Amino acid sequence: MSLSLTYHQVNKVFDQHAKNPVHALKDVSFTIEEGELFCLLGPSGCGKTTLLRSTAGLETITSGQILYGERDITAIPPFRRNIGMVFQSFALYPHMNIFENVAYGLRVRKTPEEIVKKKVTEVMELVGLTEELKRNPSPTGLSGGQQQRVAIARALVYDPDILLLDEPLANLDAKLRRYMRAEIRRIQKATGITTIFVTHDQEEAMAIGDRLAVLRRGVVEQIGTSNELYTAPNGAFVSNFIGKMNFFNATLKSPTAAQIDTTPITITANEKKIRFASTPKTNSSVLIGARPEQMEVVTQKDSDAIAGKVQIIQHLGQVVRYEVAIDSKISPTTLEIDMPLMLDGVHEQDDVFVKVKEGLPFLFSVEEQN
Amino acid sequence: MKEATLLVKKEKRDITPYLVFAIPLAFMAIFLIYPMFITLARAFMPAGNKLTFGTFSLSGFTKFGESMMYRKALVNSFIVSLAVTAFCIIIGVPMGYFVARVKMPGKNLMLSLGILPIIMPSFVGAFTWVILLGRQGVVRHFLNIVLGPLGIEVPTIYGMFGMILCMTLTYYPFVFQLSYGAFASANSLLEEAGMLMGASRWYIFRTITFPLILPSLGAGALLVFVRAIGNFGIPAIIGGDKYVLPTLIYFRVNGFWDLNGAASIAVINVAITALVLYLQKRVINRHEYETISATHSEIKQHEGLAIRIIAIVYCLLVLIISLLPQLTIIVMSFYEKWTGLFPQGFTLRNYIRIPTYSHKELFNTFYLSIVATLLAAVLGSLVAYITERKKPKGAALLDLSIMAPFILPGTVVSVSLLSAFSGASVIALGGTYTIIIISYMIRRTPYVYRSVAASLSQLNPSLEEASTIAGASWFYTFRRVSVPLIMPAIIGGSILTLTTLLQELSTTILLYSPKTRTVPIQIYGAVADGKLGEASALSVVLLIVVFIIVYAMNRKQGKSIASSFKMG
Repeated sequence: MSLSLTYHQVNKVFDQHAKNPVHALKDVSFTIEEGELFCLLGPSGCGKTTLLRSTAGLETITSGQILYGERDITAIPPFRRNIGMVFQSFALYPHMNIFENVAYGLRVRKTPEEIVKKKVTEVMELVGLTEELKRNPSPTGLSGGQQQRVAIARALVYDPDILLLDEPLANLDAKLRRYMRAEIRRIQKATGITTIFVTHDQEEAMAIGDRLAVLRRGVVEQIGTSNELYTAPNGAFVSNFIGKMNFFNATLKSPTAAQIDTTPITITANEKKIRFASTPKTNSSVLIGARPEQMEVVTQKDSDAIAGKVQIIQHLGQVVRYEVAIDSKISPTTLEIDMPLMLDGVHEQDDVFVKVKEGLPFLFSVEEQN
Repeated sequence: MKEATLLVKKEKRDITPYLVFAIPLAFMAIFLIYPMFITLARAFMPAGNKLTFGTFSLSGFTKFGESMMYRKALVNSFIVSLAVTAFCIIIGVPMGYFVARVKMPGKNLMLSLGILPIIMPSFVGAFTWVILLGRQGVVRHFLNIVLGPLGIEVPTIYGMFGMILCMTLTYYPFVFQLSYGAFASANSLLEEAGMLMGASRWYIFRTITFPLILPSLGAGALLVFVRAIGNFGIPAIIGGDKYVLPTLIYFRVNGFWDLNGAASIAVINVAITALVLYLQKRVINRHEYETISATHSEIKQHEGLAIRIIAIVYCLLVLIISLLPQLTIIVMSFYEKWTGLFPQGFTLRNYIRIPTYSHKELFNTFYLSIVATLLAAVLGSLVAYITERKKPKGAALLDLSIMAPFILPGTVVSVSLLSAFSGASVIALGGTYTIIIISYMIRRTPYVYRSVAASLSQLNPSLEEASTIAGASWFYTFRRVSVPLIMPAIIGGSILTLTTLLQELSTTILLYSPKTRTVPIQIYGAVADGKLGEASALSVVLLIVVFIIVYAMNRKQGKSIASSFKMG
C-alpha cells in the first residue's frame, strides 16, 4: 500500500547544546501525494539529506511531526516504519550474494522460504536482473548500474509504504546516470510507491520528479512541477538554481518598471513575472532577471543596449552561448546569453552590446545569493 | 493538518543495545579502573600490604632518593629503554628502506623472517643468548679463543650490555616493519614531483621521504620504548645484579609481599611511559599529514649494484644475528648441555619428559589463553562498536581506558590486580584462574579493540542503516551485518592476542599459584635452575604452536605473517 507523506513544522537542530548549533531544517511543512515521485533539490548543505534521513527515522527531528498517511511516525524507530531506502553508496552487503542481499528485508520479516523466492524473483525481473540472479554472484562483482538495481530491488522487495532514494545516481558515470534516471522513473511508476528522490543536480531533478521542492539553508523555497519552477520561480535563488538566470542591479521606478543602474535603460515587466517578496518602495533596489534565451547579443549600439566584452563563445549544438562581461556595477558576474546562431565577425574579446528582450524578464527582490 | 493523527502511542524503545553495552563497561570499571585507583592509593601508603586509607606516606617514593638499589633501577630502566629505542631505529630504519626501496630477491621471506623475533617470547631470546654469550657461552668461548691472545675479553651477557642487545634484537622488527610499510606505501608522485623540480635523491629523502615517514617512525619508536621499559623476562634472566623497574616490582612483591611499595614503583613506571607517550604525541601531531593522492604508482627502486650488495648483506646480517636464538634453542633442545664450542650429550629426553612433567602446565597455558582470548574478543569488539558507532559522550574516556593497558607493563597490571583482589578483599581472587584470565583480558583487549575499531571506521555506516531501514532491530543488524563484516578484524586481533598470551610471562609470574602454573613460568624456572635443555624443548613446543596458529590463520585470510603483527 502506498501512502502520502506529510511534514508538519519539522525542525532539526544539530548540536543543540553546543556552541554552534546548526539549524538544518526550519519549519518544513508540505505534503507528498500518494504514488508521487517527489524530488528534494538544493545545493550541498541545504538540508535535503537531513530531511530524507529524518523521514527514514535515521535522524530524530528536534520538533514537528512526520506523518505516513494519517499515522504520526515521528516517535517510531526506523526499523518499524516499513520503508525502503537506496543509499548513495548502495550499501550492498559484500558478505552475502545478490539473492540474500535482496531477500534481507524478507528474512528480517521471517517470510516463508517459498514466498521469499517468489518475491525476489519478481522484483529482480522488475529491475531487469533476471540473468544475474541465476548466476547469483557477490554484489562486489557487479557493475555500478547493476549494483544500483540490486539496491533498488532490495528496497522494494518487502513492499514498503515509502521509498527513499538518497542521491542514488551520484556514483554512476554520466551516460549511465541518464539511463538509470529513466529506469527509476519506470520502476517507480510500475510499483506506484510514494518516492522521495534527493539530488543536487537540477537537470536530474527536473527530468525525474513529478514535483520538486527546492531547499536552501533548511528552508523550502518553492514546491512545484519542473515547468512551474522554471517558468514561474518565486525568487531570485530558485530562478538561478532551476536553469540559469542573469541578474541586473536596478532601481524600481514604478510598480512594474525598473531602471538598470548606471544606464538610462528602463525595463517594464509583465505583471505575471513580478516576484517581489514584499511590495518594495519606488526608488528601492531590485533585480531584473533574464534567462539566457531571453537576451541577445548585438554589434550595433542602440538606446536599450548595454556595452560589454565577449569572454567566451561556446557552440553547444542547438544554441551558441556567449559569455559577456558588462559593467560590474550592473552585473558582478558574466552574463550567459544563448543565440540561435553564431554571429558573423564576433570573436572572443570583441566589444559588443547586449539587450534584454521585451516583455520576458522577471523582477525580483534583492536577496543574498548562495 | 488533522489533529487525530496525534493519537499514536509512543512505542517502546529498543533497550537491547544498552544492556549489551553495560557488560563491558561494568567489567572495565571493576577490573581496570577500580584496581588502578587502589594501586594509586596504595602507592601513597606505608610499606606493607595493608590497605590503610587515611595514612598518607611518601615512603614508597622517597626510596628512589634514599635507596641506591631503587635509584639504580630507575636509571637502568631509562638507559636500557632509551638505548634500545635508539638502536632499534638505527638498525630498523635502514633495513626498512633497503627492503622497500632496493631491488633484491626474497623480500617477502625477509619480511616474514623479520617478524619472528617478536613472535618468540623475549625471555626465550634472553636465555638462548646465555647459551651463546654466557659465561661458558659458545660464541664467547670461540671469540675468546680468537681474541684472547690479543688481550681482549668479550663481556658476558649478564648486565646492561646483554639487556640492551637482547631487547634490541627482539624489538627492532617494530621499527623495521613500520618503516618498511611507510617507505613502501609512500606516494611516489610526491618524490617524482620533487625530482622534476630539480632536487637530488638525498635532498628528496631529507625533505620529502623522511618527513612523511616520521609519524610511522614515531609510532614504532614508541612501541619499542613502551615494551622495553615494561619488559620483565629479559632483565629477570640476564639482568644479573642490574635491576630495572619491572624486576624491582617483582622483587618487592615476591620477596617482601610489599604491595604498597610495589604500587609506588608501578606508579613511577607508568608515569614515565605516559610522559613518553605524551611527548611522542606532541611531536608527531605536528608532523602528521593527510596523504592527498589520486593514483598510486609503483615506487621506483634503486638498482645500482653497489647499493644492492650493501642492502642484501646488511639485511642478511641483521636477520641472522636476530634469528640466532631460534636456531640455538632448536639445537639445544636435543642436548643435555652446551658449554664450550659444541653441545654435549645428544638426547630426546627433553622432549620425552614433557608429557609427564608439563601436562598440567600445557593445559593451563592453553586453557587460560583461549578463555582470555575469547572473552577479550567479545569485550574488545563491543567496546569498539560502542565508541565507533554509538559515539557516547564519554567516548574519548572509554577509548583512553581501554587503550591504557596497552602501555601498562605486565608487572604493573599484576600489582594493580593483586592490590585490589588479593587476600581478604571483597572479591578475593588471589591464586585463581580467574585473576590470570582477567589480567590477560585487561592487557590484550586493546589488540582486538584497535583492530575492530579500525575496521569499523572503514565500514560505511549506511550498510547498517540499510538493515535498520529494511526493518531489522538493533541486535539483528548487529548479528547479521556488523559482526560478519568486522569478523576478519576480530579474528586478526584475537590471533595476535592468543599467540602473545601463550607466551605471557610478566603478568603471570606475579599471579600464578602451583595450581595455575603455565609453560612460560616453567621455562623461566628451568632457566633459573640451569636446565637449559628442558627449557629449550618447552620453548620449541611453544614456538611451533604459535607458528602453526599464525601460519594457518594467514593462509585462511590470505595475509602475510608480518601484517598481523604490525599493529603490535
